[in-house]
Amino acid sequence: MPIIQTRDLRKTFRSVIRGEGLGGAIGALFSRRYEEKVAVENVNISIEAGEVVGYIGPNGAGKSTTIKMLTGILVPTSGTIEVAGIVPHEKRRQNARNIGVVFGQRSQLYWDLPLRESFELLRAIYRVPRARFRENLAHFVEILDLDRFMATPVRQLSLGERMRGDFAAALLHDPKIVYLDEPTIGLDVVAKEAIRNFIADINKRLGTTVILTTHDLADVERLCRRIVLIDEGAVIYDGKVERLRDEYGTHRTLIVHLKDPQPDFTLPGVEIEHGEPPTVMLRFDRHEITAEALIRRVTARYAITDVAIVEPEIEDIVRRIYLEGYQKPPARAAEN
Amino acid sequence: MFAVLEPYYFFTLKAIAREGTYRFEVFTSIASLAVRVYLLRVVWVALYARNAAPHGVPLHTIITYSTVALLMGLILDIDQTRLLHDKLHDGSIVVDMMKPISVPFYLFADGTGEVIFHAALIVPSLALALLIVHIDVPSAPVLAAFALSFFLGYFVGFFLNFMLNCIAFWTLEISAVQLIVTWITDLLGGQIVPLLFFPAFLQQAIFALPFAAMFSTPLLIYIGEIPPARYLQVMGLQVLWIVALGAIATLMWRAGARRVVVQGG
Repeated sequence: MPIIQTRDLRKTFRSVIRGEGLGGAIGALFSRRYEEKVAVENVNISIEAGEVVGYIGPNGAGKSTTIKMLTGILVPTSGTIEVAGIVPHEKRRQNARNIGVVFGQRSQLYWDLPLRESFELLRAIYRVPRARFRENLAHFVEILDLDRFMATPVRQLSLGERMRGDFAAALLHDPKIVYLDEPTIGLDVVAKEAIRNFIADINKRLGTTVILTTHDLADVERLCRRIVLIDEGAVIYDGKVERLRDEYGTHRTLIVHLKDPQPDFTLPGVEIEHGEPPTVMLRFDRHEITAEALIRRVTARYAITDVAIVEPEIEDIVRRIYLEGYQKPPARAAEN
Repeated sequence: MFAVLEPYYFFTLKAIAREGTYRFEVFTSIASLAVRVYLLRVVWVALYARNAAPHGVPLHTIITYSTVALLMGLILDIDQTRLLHDKLHDGSIVVDMMKPISVPFYLFADGTGEVIFHAALIVPSLALALLIVHIDVPSAPVLAAFALSFFLGYFVGFFLNFMLNCIAFWTLEISAVQLIVTWITDLLGGQIVPLLFFPAFLQQAIFALPFAAMFSTPLLIYIGEIPPARYLQVMGLQVLWIVALGAIATLMWRAGARRVVVQGG
């Protein structure tokens, strides 16, 4: 029984069509011409309790719209959603007790209150039993290192401190599911790592289901076994991270350090990117040629000192999918 | 029961604490009130020196009226639900809608905190005003009727303010509308000039408006222009306005919240 299930989820927005220039702006005051814009199209997602899913896609792909529908603050145009047995937009407040939400770009802490009082307020809002609250808070204070700024008003916190506070705030009531919308945006490497460890920890210790949207694919690689790729409102890939790498990341790069610089280095049938001489980089499809065969071909013509093979980064794979669209993986027949 | 209300109780407490942090504003609002008490006294004394008392309202009564009106303004002039406009403006309303709370009740609790804080300012303001002018004090039953009518007037004002801030659901910006409503309230509410001084043919209409229900009704009870025999009638009208404006505010909130959930804000 999945904890999150959507069927044929669809969301369209109406926006006013507006002409150009001043005339258009004034015309828009009176015009009631609308155009339909599809934000989410036919999304079918099924997520089991305890999964950590990376929900990724380019800007404007429909990620936030999906998350808003899952939290119940946006009503789908058509299709169905069920989150922990509840239809979110029908029982928004009941659904709210089951979920925690962290927005990288927006805080749920109370701006002019010290962090400690924000937590106290959230305890009342979610009706967390006091003993449970103290226990959770003590734990979060320890692993997120909140002690130094518990008495500081939120508006005076640094981004890294505020994000750590926001994570504690989202999890104080032991939600079954957390939605993390770009939680590491703008953070330095140390803060990012702290946040990633925290997410991994709550997932492991409490079995919390995590839906993570991010543009930092290092977050995905570190945390998610499953990835859902969305583009122009539609899901274009849903499966294991390794499978995506396997199917789509067929191109590896062989880095060759030549003994002497070779400005006119060529090798028929291989895509060459010249690096800093005497280094050349050869991009090859591992279904077409093995690394060993490629190295043999290079050494047959040139003297070399060193080689290295670079596996495709998930980031490169995703970038190519954004640019070129996801195509069915090439046939595996060429493997041998 | 307490668990249900506890968050709102906290919202109120936090709003009181928040208002207290703007200390400079506290001092300036008391000081500006004293200045206005003095200026209105000067104006009325000058006007009365050259004219017969209009409608038989003596000078000391009119000074009492305008001073009490200024003190009431400490509470009634507050933009209690400005938070709604702010949240719509920066989009943070979605964060509140993701919490298991009633957002309008949250706004009411926050506004109440603000009002409680400003109500506490009445004491020093009154003390300061008494150094400048003399204020007539009516009998205890009249004072009680005034307090009740003032309380009702507060709710009329609350719903008007809530309606005003709800406009931000559609326009995001409300300062122009707000300015117009402030002018109308100043003029037709009776805070500056008693509505008794308006031409007779206008009075019927003006007294029936919700603006009069905020300031004028409690004030005319205070100075005895509304006799006890009419208390039921005038307070009944206040209650009617509370019900009507409350209903409109509810509809506006629902339509606005629907707009957020359908159009994504």
